[in-house]
Amino acid sequence: MKVCLLYENREWVKGETYYDSASIVQDLGLNTMFAVASQEITYENGAVKQVEKPDQFLAETMRSVMMVPLTTEEEIRYRQESVEDGLQHEEMTRELYRISSDVVLRWNDLGRGYREKMKLGSPIMRLTADIRVLHMFCEALTEIRSLLRKEEFISRGFKALREELDVAFSEEREASVRKILDDISFYVHGLEHKEDENHDTVVKPRIVFECGLEDGLKFSSMKLLDISSQNVRFFRRGSTRDKLQKFLNGRIPDSFSVTEDERILEQTHQLEFESVSYVMRLTKNFTREFQTFFDQLRLQSAFCLAAVQLRHQLNRLGMTWCYPQVCDRRDLEFEELREFIMGLQQRVNVIGNTCSLLQKDLLIVTGANQGGKSTFLRSIGIAQVMMQSGLPVVAKSYRSGIFPRIFVHFTRREDSEMNSGRLDEELRRMNGIIEQIGDGSLILLNESFATTTEKEGSVIAYDITKALKEAGVRILTVTHLLSFARRVHEETAGHPEAGVEFLSAERKPDGTRTYHMIYGQPELTSFGLDLYDSIVGGY
Amino acid sequence: MGEVKAAAYGDFSILDLHADMEDYDSGEAEVFYQDLNLLQIIDRVSVKWGKSVKKYFMHLPKTAEEVAYRRSVYGDVKKDTVYTALTAFTGKIAEVEKLREEMHKAYGEMQKAVWWIREAEVYFSAYKELAGELEKADLESSLSEFLGIVRNILNSETYRTMLEETQGILAEIRKLRFTVTYDKDRMSVALKETEDGETYGARLNIEESSDDAQFTNPFVAGSAITELENACIEVLRKKKPAFFRKLNELSQQLTQRAEQYDVPVFTRFEQEIRFYLSFCSLQREMEQAGFVFAEPTIRRSGRMEAEGLYDLALALTSIGRGGKVVANDFYLDPAEQFFVLTGPNQGGKTTFARSLGQLVFFAKLGLDVPAKSATVLFFPRILTHFSVEESVETGRGKLMDELVRLAPMMESTGGSSFVVINELFTTAASYDAVIMGKRVLDHFIELGHKGIYVTHLKELADACEGVVSLRAMLDDRGIQTFEIRRGQSDDTACAENQVKKYRLTYEQLKERL
Repeated sequence: MKVCLLYENREWVKGETYYDSASIVQDLGLNTMFAVASQEITYENGAVKQVEKPDQFLAETMRSVMMVPLTTEEEIRYRQESVEDGLQHEEMTRELYRISSDVVLRWNDLGRGYREKMKLGSPIMRLTADIRVLHMFCEALTEIRSLLRKEEFISRGFKALREELDVAFSEEREASVRKILDDISFYVHGLEHKEDENHDTVVKPRIVFECGLEDGLKFSSMKLLDISSQNVRFFRRGSTRDKLQKFLNGRIPDSFSVTEDERILEQTHQLEFESVSYVMRLTKNFTREFQTFFDQLRLQSAFCLAAVQLRHQLNRLGMTWCYPQVCDRRDLEFEELREFIMGLQQRVNVIGNTCSLLQKDLLIVTGANQGGKSTFLRSIGIAQVMMQSGLPVVAKSYRSGIFPRIFVHFTRREDSEMNSGRLDEELRRMNGIIEQIGDGSLILLNESFATTTEKEGSVIAYDITKALKEAGVRILTVTHLLSFARRVHEETAGHPEAGVEFLSAERKPDGTRTYHMIYGQPELTSFGLDLYDSIVGGY
Repeated sequence: MGEVKAAAYGDFSILDLHADMEDYDSGEAEVFYQDLNLLQIIDRVSVKWGKSVKKYFMHLPKTAEEVAYRRSVYGDVKKDTVYTALTAFTGKIAEVEKLREEMHKAYGEMQKAVWWIREAEVYFSAYKELAGELEKADLESSLSEFLGIVRNILNSETYRTMLEETQGILAEIRKLRFTVTYDKDRMSVALKETEDGETYGARLNIEESSDDAQFTNPFVAGSAITELENACIEVLRKKKPAFFRKLNELSQQLTQRAEQYDVPVFTRFEQEIRFYLSFCSLQREMEQAGFVFAEPTIRRSGRMEAEGLYDLALALTSIGRGGKVVANDFYLDPAEQFFVLTGPNQGGKTTFARSLGQLVFFAKLGLDVPAKSATVLFFPRILTHFSVEESVETGRGKLMDELVRLAPMMESTGGSSFVVINELFTTAASYDAVIMGKRVLDHFIELGHKGIYVTHLKELADACEGVVSLRAMLDDRGIQTFEIRRGQSDDTACAENQVKKYRLTYEQLKERL
């Protein structure tokens, strides 16, 4: 029984993640998104009432699912449909997550893993735990089935889930399992069997087996013919009614009492244990079929639920999103693309950028400090990763190719002192990337090689980008290395077929930053002087 | 055919030509078992075949005729059909022994009676099946004589009826089916004519999963029946009184006639056949792993030789680690008496010496030998002397210790022995050691012994008449090949190679430092 909300015809496995996904998470600031998506917002009269505590599992799930990219347009579309259904049926999504989480967590207490099982002590306790697990499955599946039947779906994922469950947990199968649970209810208190309310009763077993004899007169080739539980009037031991009952039972032909000899009584208990164990073994196929179902459902519904909650958070800030479109790898077009993570952190809406890069392999962004260059680069990185996990992106529209391999090479703020050790570290990171990179890769370079002199850094950057470009890698770079930028510009100016585009952060003549990126050739200064002036003043 | 006096066959043995071998359980193992690593092999065999098989490896036939007698039996045992039949047979005999144990633990008279009957049935059918299988084989040894004995005994009236009756009653027990209903704190038992009950699982709309869906007997208490089972059987007894009476009678008859079917010739055979089978199963296992065995030609005198001779104990430990050992060829002409083997350390000298000893041993035991082909002389005795760590126990010095062990070997035994000596006098001064070594060699040659002397003293290689020099070879780079060849001892060349190998020449050291 498969869940298949994330992929068509297959379940989630922690497959091949992005190379150095830790860096992607850190450099794009994704943890903030994971954190807010893991919090439920409750409303009262349309106003936010409360933001619940983060659910660690949701955050972790979102992270692991996002770090395994989808690699075809078809896969992306399939996932988008499921996410959309999850968004459309918010309450159902939340319930699916709650029910499956409940099962998974309670199952652990009931000895799911070997170690938990051993903690349960005796085989009898383990057996009763197994029965309780079966009961729990039965209840949860009934609930899930009816939840799914109530909704209208557009996605192939949810439709398939509903159909599969209708077969795997058909009414007939449910009836068999419930009959078993009822038949062996004598073994576990408070399970299934309806008690007689008018009298004091106890639930007693009735077991029939057939067998032959081995050479040593031991029972052999035993077959269980019947097992059932029944309510029996309870009489106080030694009371007249009890004695009468015993007397009447004693008239059953060819029989003997099992209560008079302690050893026989003990062996009768063994018979009960083995009979119940056997019946439970009959349900093994059933439970095995749902062995991973609840884990999968929990995880896959968690991903949908994270999307639901992320949307609520974006709504609060007035940001909207759209489903991106897949196009050729050399194209990238978007309208009003926002670096919403910064917005989430600062609780404000942020400026959107619009840009169209058709048939380009190398984008070089230069320009004013504090002009929003890095933010711009990040917004593309975030959108790309979201798109490749089937989520909507925070923009009016977004079209991009699919890059199964995304690399980030950011000079981190705390790293930016200039010394050889830092350059060494940068080069080592680059070396690691080079080993993995190839055709169909996307690399985001943010202020790379700024840890050495401008001249040296430019040479390194030039060589590396040239080589990468020739290897068919799409490169988006934000740089201060103006010699590098100008050199590329001089070589490619007037040659649109070279596939290079330049953007720079807009700076009004009075020095104010608009945080918009505009097309244009690299200037000789990045206007750090402006910044110096504005901060340090005229000294 | 009338009653057979089983005692008439009491002397028959498949091991012992004259059936007059003294008690197998006497004395301590001779020292060569340890030195030639034979104990490792024997222990390995007895892990599977039990300690009782060990004693047969500890006693060697005294004459070449006895060896030939055994060789013919082993030749038959090795045949596929015979080997399979005999293995199945010993399996059944082991089962009988287990049944006998069960009987001692049995719960109540009725279970005991059934075990008795079952034991008798297994025992006789084991022989019946064995006879049937052996008849099909082309026997060329005393096994065919044994087959005659078995047939005679089995054909007697007593055994025929006994087998029929036991099988009849057991078949009836196995046919019995009944149901037990546990309800209202009582168990009720009902006989059933056929085995047709639909199981609980089959009635449910649920696919049963594989083998673990089998309902197993919950009344586990080993093979003993539990009180509950016994109580059910008591109910059955009331329902089928005639059958259970018959069962009891038969069991009593069997008890009374127990002595009649306790046949000494059978008991002896059951023990002795294990000797052949144990080695044969080892041999088969080794052959599977790619090792070869040869049927040795045994002579009283003449040339002794072997091709592809290897150390069986070493081969055994090599299985699981690739299963490759070095094999060597050799010959020893009638006029030649002693090999003196010299060569580099770790060059396979000791292994070769051991494999020679093993060759003589297994040939003498009447079994096959670890080689591609072999011609072996019959030696009344095997003598070995291996250097050991200084004995703390005796408190003697090493040389002293060696000499004490050497002395009894030097005594005349009145016949030609096979002698394996490994590194004598290593603690003595070379000059002394050479003189002592020569005297030992001289003495053995004079006594007409043959053998091998492993030493680092090249002076011994041409000590006297009758000595053949062998050496362990190195390749061009000075690495041991473990190959043993005839040739004059020449250990200066080895030394330089050794040094090179360890990169300790002047130039190498200069480079390295």
